[in-house]
Amino acid sequence: MKSIKIFLAITVMLSFTGLNAQIKNAKTDSVKIFGNCGMCKAAIEKAGNKKKIAKVDWNKESKMATITYDAKKTNREEILKRIALSGYDNEKFLAPNDVYAKLPVCCQYKIEVRTEVKKEEAKKDSAKIEMTDDQTNHNHSKMTETKKDVSQLKTVFDNYFAIKDALVKTDGNTASTMAKELQRAIGHVQMDKLSSEEHIAWMKVMKNLAVAAELIADTKDVSQQREYFIALSKNMYLLIKVSKQETPVYYQHCPMANNGKGANWLSKESAIKNPFYGSEMLSCGKTVETIK
Amino acid sequence: MSIPNIVSKKMLPIAIFILATQILYAQKIVHYDLYVRDTIVNFTGKEKRAIAVNGQIPMPTLTFTEGDIAEIVVHNQLKESTSLHWHGLYVPNKEDGVPYLTQLPIKPNETFTYRFPIVQSGTHWYHSHSGLQEQIGMYGSLILKKKTEDKTFRKGIDNIPQVPVVLSEWTDLKPENVHRMLHNASDWFAIKKGTTQSYTEAISAGHFKTKLINEWKRMLAMDVSDVYYEKVLINGENESQLSQFKAGDKIRLRISNGGASSYFWLKYAGGKMTVVANDGNDVEPVEVDRLIIGVSETYDVIVTIPAENTAYEFLATSEDRTKSTSLYLGDGVIQLTSPMPKLKYFEGMKMMNTMMKMDGSMNDMGMNMSLQKMDMNTVMYPEISGKPKMKKKNDMNMDDKMNHSEHSDSSNNQQDDIVTLNYGMLKASHPTTLPKNAQVRELRFELTGNMNRYVWSMDNIVLSETDKILIKKGENVRITLYNNSMMRHPMHLHGHDFRVLNGQGEYAPLKNVLDIIPMETDTIEFNANLEGDWFFHCHILYHMMAGMNRVFSYENQPPNPYLPNKTLAYKKLQAESNQLHFMAENDFATNGNDGMAMLQNTRWSFGTEWRLGYHDVHGYESETHIGRYIGKMQWLMPFIGFDWRYRKFGIDEQETNLFNQSNSKDNRNLFSAGINYTLPMLVIFQIEAFHNGDVRFQLMREDIPVSKRLRAGFMVNTDKEYMAGLRYIVNKNMSVSTHYDSDMGLGVGLSINY
Repeated sequence: MKSIKIFLAITVMLSFTGLNAQIKNAKTDSVKIFGNCGMCKAAIEKAGNKKKIAKVDWNKESKMATITYDAKKTNREEILKRIALSGYDNEKFLAPNDVYAKLPVCCQYKIEVRTEVKKEEAKKDSAKIEMTDDQTNHNHSKMTETKKDVSQLKTVFDNYFAIKDALVKTDGNTASTMAKELQRAIGHVQMDKLSSEEHIAWMKVMKNLAVAAELIADTKDVSQQREYFIALSKNMYLLIKVSKQETPVYYQHCPMANNGKGANWLSKESAIKNPFYGSEMLSCGKTVETIK
Repeated sequence: MSIPNIVSKKMLPIAIFILATQILYAQKIVHYDLYVRDTIVNFTGKEKRAIAVNGQIPMPTLTFTEGDIAEIVVHNQLKESTSLHWHGLYVPNKEDGVPYLTQLPIKPNETFTYRFPIVQSGTHWYHSHSGLQEQIGMYGSLILKKKTEDKTFRKGIDNIPQVPVVLSEWTDLKPENVHRMLHNASDWFAIKKGTTQSYTEAISAGHFKTKLINEWKRMLAMDVSDVYYEKVLINGENESQLSQFKAGDKIRLRISNGGASSYFWLKYAGGKMTVVANDGNDVEPVEVDRLIIGVSETYDVIVTIPAENTAYEFLATSEDRTKSTSLYLGDGVIQLTSPMPKLKYFEGMKMMNTMMKMDGSMNDMGMNMSLQKMDMNTVMYPEISGKPKMKKKNDMNMDDKMNHSEHSDSSNNQQDDIVTLNYGMLKASHPTTLPKNAQVRELRFELTGNMNRYVWSMDNIVLSETDKILIKKGENVRITLYNNSMMRHPMHLHGHDFRVLNGQGEYAPLKNVLDIIPMETDTIEFNANLEGDWFFHCHILYHMMAGMNRVFSYENQPPNPYLPNKTLAYKKLQAESNQLHFMAENDFATNGNDGMAMLQNTRWSFGTEWRLGYHDVHGYESETHIGRYIGKMQWLMPFIGFDWRYRKFGIDEQETNLFNQSNSKDNRNLFSAGINYTLPMLVIFQIEAFHNGDVRFQLMREDIPVSKRLRAGFMVNTDKEYMAGLRYIVNKNMSVSTHYDSDMGLGVGLSINY
């Protein structure tokens, strides 16, 4: 069997060696393709070339490419589409944004155009940072001054959601940091300022919350954190149920978590983002209860 | 391609519309003439037969306004019979277009008029319900507009530019041949798709054990779809552009999936898509990044053109991700969207292994799955679960504790925010509750299937084995569906919309097709308010033709003038989905001819095998078996047979078998009875007793996938015969083979199969 294959392969190779670079019904065009460096050249040509059908020769100075192709088997558009799909804009097609974003830095030919955009974005970002600073300050002031108005459990919940988000991203470091924050927030809760319902629930879950938060804070191993997160979520649910929320909170369930026994978590958005699996099973789960 | 441009497609209905409005005020009659003709198309560089209506593929878009009367005259100019079904429409039963169920087939050169009032609005489509005609061109868009004074009229949705989008696929093979190859478990489609999942591929992907367990559990290579298509199409073209749209334009795409067996992923390069309707029924707008459209479903989505002088790609990718088709919206340079990465089949196989029980049924492990929410296929989606790794990565075994911290690289986190539509997100824009005081009829169906023999059924019963299901007018019918097969099924009900109980309470969405993923349980309900005989079936064409159908029949309904003899007609309908499939192969080898021919349907198998040497010493023999497959997975087949042999003693003399019974190899004329049983690893164990008292035990395995195109096989039995061979698949009908046979020695040959 194998010998037949090899024999065939050799025959085929022999009969074509002479023709290797030749393209039948050749048509040649000159087109603009964006790119920067030698790396771009290799990538562009690799994407465009097709044995005996199309050949691309790109010049990094002029950004122009000479494409030669078998007009009976392909056309300009097919070649340019392949090149765009590998990340390089040209006169006919623009590369998908996510593909462009994954190009090596030296090939990010839009950088000049983007710097301006970036400057603006940077402005916005700094504005954002200021805003967030404002908010945190605000939070602090809330914690110290205006406890009566807003449920003082809010920081507890906020920290919980931050842990959840970190677990969704499979980010053990952030989860651990946020768990420390949660520990601190739990310590700061003044029970006498809670509503009576909250108070009862708080008494019930406080200890469990503190333990779970500590366990999560103590490790950076996400799989362990996820295990403790089951208990944390369970207790947080009991608390959040009796506490007034400004926005609805969703109690969500993944049947695969906890070794197939299933586990729940709380989220501020209805779309499922599974903290027990992260990207591996991001959308596994469903909302079982909406708490308003 | 002979596909006229959009303008002429739109002009025809408009012209008719204007003419019609001038004559009538109250109820307009909107008239269409449809000429069905054979045609030759060239989608792939090869000329092939197809069916065109009024000279085009897809069929012309039919447009009506709620309140119109539709009058559609079908002129059948084919050499075979035809029919047209109005998918998703509430029509009088006799206009529903299912041959032998609601009418007789429209014979060649016959003209048939469908005439019915339009009592609803929305995006629907129409297609042939005869044989496999839908595969080769008989599908088209059917747009029902709202009246402008309709109180459900939604500004910004119902009054913006709209484009009918019909998705379909094309294969260069004749659909009858596709159907036959599927039933014969041909792996040609897998070879074309690159999804053979052979041992070599498994080993290089670090999944040898996965493949082994898979075969131990008697499964063939897994896939999300069955058929390889050369091309997938939007409105009959692989790529097309609508350059009339400008920056800021909002466009409503009225998408119907007219594919015979392909689901499609839909993506848009210009931002999110807003889903506003499903199966012709309005839903609350919901923004998504992508959605999957099941076979025969329709979705209405609104897309925006974000920038000037740019066209944006609307991309439809077949679920197996082997092929895609694009529609460019806008004028200028084209902004592409990234293609869907290839599926990770071995991850899927691993998942299947954990879910599949030894008896071939699925084990959902107590997971309460429904409404497309937990798509087990996500393990195969690299865009969600990370790029495939050649090294063996963390064990995905469900029982193990999951540790996927290594997947937290930034490229994956980008994907965290992909919003994929599922049925749970669909909310009707108006309450859809059924009459409260109606009697409730509860029905439950388990969707069952057997990939090895391509048998698709409900409760392991195909249409040819069951009567119509009687229901009463006025009652509420509630159907629970559980998918216990390995494939997803788009279940379609004729003549009614059903509510999908998806947790939206009174606002449960109305649909007429329910996509159900393996292991899901879904509940649907509808009020029986339209008398007649209505088909309920899987809309994957080849599953329907394999018998995955039922008929709901209203008790004491008035007779159908088109069908005077309903009993006979039903028998014909049943026979259509339980046809015999023929297969044959012969190996012309240096040491003799080896071959077999078989006729099979859902339960029966009539087969004969032969081994013919070139001279008396090698001998001549043939074995004929008639058997019936038993059980859902059909692992057991009792049979009766006849054996004939003649040989002069030669190379491998064996006068007795392992049980010291005499052996009549040299001259044998024997009747026999026995059983075939499929063992783990897909080894067929055969016991055969002959009328002279001899007994033979045999083990055989064919088509072990060694590499993409290389297959191995062996056979050994208690007559001390044995055989081992290798086969290299050259094309769908030809292989080069070599084998060693205890009777005939070593041989090399060319194997031809049909």
